[in-house]
Amino acid sequence: MRAFLLSVLILAGCSSPAGRPHGPTARRIVSLLPSFTEILFDIGAGDRVVGRTTWCDYPPAALAVPSVGDGIPPNIEAVAARQPDLVVLYKSGPNVTAAKQLERIGIRTVLLDLNRLEDLGPAARTLGRLTGREKIADSLAGAMDSLAARPPPPATASITFVVWDNPPIVIGRGSYLHQIAALAGARNVFADLAAPSAQVSLETIAARNPDWIAVLADSSVMPGFAKRPEWQAVRAVRDRHFLLLPGSLFGRPGPRTAQAVAELQRLLRK
Amino acid sequence: MKWALLVTVAVLALVASVAVGPAAVPLGELLRSDIVWNLRAPRALLAFLVGGSLGIAGAALQALVRNPLADPFLLGLSGGAGLGAVLAIALHLSGPWALPLAAFAGALAALALVYRLGLIGGAALDPRILLLGGVAIGAFAAAITTAIVSLADASELRNAFLWLWGGLSSASWDAVLVIVLYAPIPIAVLLAASRPLDLLALGEEPARYLGADVDAVKRRVYLAASLLTAAAVAVSGVIGFVGLVVPHLARLTWGHRHRALLPAAFVGGGALLAIADTLARTVVAPRELPVGVVTALIGVPVFTLLLRRWTIA
Repeated sequence: MRAFLLSVLILAGCSSPAGRPHGPTARRIVSLLPSFTEILFDIGAGDRVVGRTTWCDYPPAALAVPSVGDGIPPNIEAVAARQPDLVVLYKSGPNVTAAKQLERIGIRTVLLDLNRLEDLGPAARTLGRLTGREKIADSLAGAMDSLAARPPPPATASITFVVWDNPPIVIGRGSYLHQIAALAGARNVFADLAAPSAQVSLETIAARNPDWIAVLADSSVMPGFAKRPEWQAVRAVRDRHFLLLPGSLFGRPGPRTAQAVAELQRLLRK
Repeated sequence: MKWALLVTVAVLALVASVAVGPAAVPLGELLRSDIVWNLRAPRALLAFLVGGSLGIAGAALQALVRNPLADPFLLGLSGGAGLGAVLAIALHLSGPWALPLAAFAGALAALALVYRLGLIGGAALDPRILLLGGVAIGAFAAAITTAIVSLADASELRNAFLWLWGGLSSASWDAVLVIVLYAPIPIAVLLAASRPLDLLALGEEPARYLGADVDAVKRRVYLAASLLTAAAVAVSGVIGFVGLVVPHLARLTWGHRHRALLPAAFVGGGALLAIADTLARTVVAPRELPVGVVTALIGVPVFTLLLRRWTIA
């Protein structure tokens, strides 16, 4: 008991303010975002991941790691039961609260932004420092930074990402998917929306007349709204010009982002 | 005069919702445009029919339960419809009509439960039991809905709540046709009950003395108003406020005679929802506001103004 209290005190002493990590190299990590899990495996720290979310399905080796739930919000006890010395969380309101609770029981946490391409480099570098894999993390971060800085090619097609159909919710320029589309040479017709996503009228989609309707899908089945009568006013829906993008590859920024861009390019050429 | 004004407002609202929208359609092409013909026109008509249904259902239910706070959704229908919709998504029921049909079935289930509760202990649809039963069933359905949403893996379930908050983006000619064929029957039942509803306002005993078949009227009005609301929720989710405020607005202007009040609530509800939806589509274009927000933003100021005039007079 005393030893436990002592270790809690020591760990509490080591805990650092979120975002400015230092201290010992992490040995037991719980990753609470699929992107973090992918980065950790990519930089060769996958063997130290002792907990993941149910969404962390890549690389396949990650599936062997015990899941601590869906992570929104994190189940503190399930996370603590993995006895981690580091918990990596996506920086959001509920997660800030969760991180404070974890710190209170002596578990070091780090909160990282991961909304857009340019967040990938810093996230990879931070995770590299925390795991003592700086070198390989730096090279990953370099690749990510150059991808984020790459000037987009001239657009050859226009696209709308439909997140939800009733009411219609589309992706704006604040989203990572907008960046992927731009790099693949597709012009998001809702680039004028600063938000990552927003509810719009169906007639706006019809009037902006995208060549393609992109949806994140985990199967090759057409989305349900493809057959709704009101959606037939959109030319791309009438022509069945759907891009069904696998959620695991397209739904998250990560080491496979370049692959996602290449895949979208391939689909657009078809 | 009142009628001329109301009908003019309604016609103008319909014309505006067809003529105005976030997409620029030149006036000359208005009648040939696919956007106008296949999106705006059915949406405007559906808004009018749904708003009208909620208005008339609200007016009839307020008279039935003799409670000014009654709203077509108060009697458990929104909870039941929401549960149906979320179940449809969680069970991956596909098909273009899966969601509205599931919501309709959920609303009917809630309706049947509340109706059965209303008959408890031989009571013939006691208004207090209807209200309490409606609130209780609604809360129970909402709790199950939330449990499903928080336990299910599908992240898209979170979006089911968006649908539930109401909106007319799924409007199509098919939906308009369904409502046009369906709504006249319950509306006719409600209109036919105008006179007994007037008597019911005096209390159940006096109404009985004056020759109304109180129990039969209550059953008919409850079922007709609820069936109307169930169809509205199936095609447009839960659009709040129309069914609560429009009947009061109509009552402040047309008085308590249901022969005039019910049609006024229908036309008024239709006009309010058509105007609200036009604003929802255009004021923050290309974004869109949830239409329930706009109905409340317009309805409340008008309501308070009339309430003030009415209490001072």
